[in-house]
Amino acid sequence: MNLRKEFSKIYDKYIDKIYRFVFLKVNSPEVAEDLTSETFLKGWVAFREQNSDPKNQNHIDNPPAFLYQIARNLVVDYYREKGKTQIVPAEDYRIIDPRINLEERANLNSDFEGVRRALNNLKEDYQDVIIYRYLDELSVPEIAKIVQKSEDAVRVSLHRALKSLKNELNLD
Amino acid sequence: MNEKTLIGKIEILRQIRPRKNWVILTKKRILGEERTLPGLFLDSFRVFQGLFFQYKLALASLVLLFILGGTFAFAQKSLPGEPLFIVKKMTEKTRAVFISEEEKPKAQLELANRRLEDLAKIAEKNDVRKLAPAIDEFQANVSEAAKNLAKAKTVGKDIVVQTQELEKNKEKIEKTLATQIGTEELENVYKDLAEQQIKDLENSSLTESQTKLLAQAKEYFEAGDYSNALIKTIEASQTK
Repeated sequence: MNLRKEFSKIYDKYIDKIYRFVFLKVNSPEVAEDLTSETFLKGWVAFREQNSDPKNQNHIDNPPAFLYQIARNLVVDYYREKGKTQIVPAEDYRIIDPRINLEERANLNSDFEGVRRALNNLKEDYQDVIIYRYLDELSVPEIAKIVQKSEDAVRVSLHRALKSLKNELNLD
Repeated sequence: MNEKTLIGKIEILRQIRPRKNWVILTKKRILGEERTLPGLFLDSFRVFQGLFFQYKLALASLVLLFILGGTFAFAQKSLPGEPLFIVKKMTEKTRAVFISEEEKPKAQLELANRRLEDLAKIAEKNDVRKLAPAIDEFQANVSEAAKNLAKAKTVGKDIVVQTQELEKNKEKIEKTLATQIGTEELENVYKDLAEQQIKDLENSSLTESQTKLLAQAKEYFEAGDYSNALIKTIEASQTK
């Protein structure tokens, strides 16, 4: 398959996930857009360079792992350069499902903001595994490849991450 | 709070999605950027290559057309025994397809006359090698003309003109080559036609001039000159 077409499919499949992953870490739609587009730009350049030659030893065989890694590095660089955290107002992601009445909607908006803040308070590794597993619906083996840990270590991380989140939410 | 409820709360965060316009534009910017650099060059090259290919195709067609046109033009001047004569014959046969049955005897006589012209040119050049094929071609045309003439219901003035010309040219060539060119088939047809015409005229009431022409026709017929006998009968039937 043509490399451009191949990467186009990867883009379509992972753009929402990478954006959400970045957004939950930077708490700003604008910054999330910038860092996500940079992630895919860097991903495309590397993908094209390394996958154009079949004999290349550094073939990108796991594009999602590669993209999450780029995104994570960019987030780290962002905080290193800016030295600040922007909190996004909860109204930006209000629940607008018309089937839900006002009281339920208010509760859900409250839950959204509560979970988002609670997740933000977790340590980096716990945030990542929760996002991978429960938001991006990656399997444990897939997460293991991304974080470069054993599947057992991922399961343990997930268990501890959920426990930490539960504590954070109870505190709220 | 159990684990299921907790996971349910986490899943609320799936609402976080990028703007659709941004997703489309970003994809276009990232995957489209390549086109502005080497991609654009490559596309331009492909367009140029396509145009060049079309140009080459057009040029090749034009050259082929010129070659074919030139071949046909040269072929018209070719003589029997020459390589291009076959093209000339093909052209003549193609033309013959579009000629009506009534017009065929005249057209065949015209062709026979052309073959005689070819024969005259060969005789002038004293090109002995082409002489035999030229005579064969002439006889083949005469044979074809005879067949068509035998089928003809009426013999018109144009046939007379062509016949006269054919006889005149044949005599000239026979003198030049000091040999007789056999046209028996045509002679036989002339004989039959002349005989029939003489009988028709004898059974008709004739004017003085017609009677004279009939007498001349009979003389030619008796002398074995059937073509001239036919000519005189046709002249008699067309004179008042």
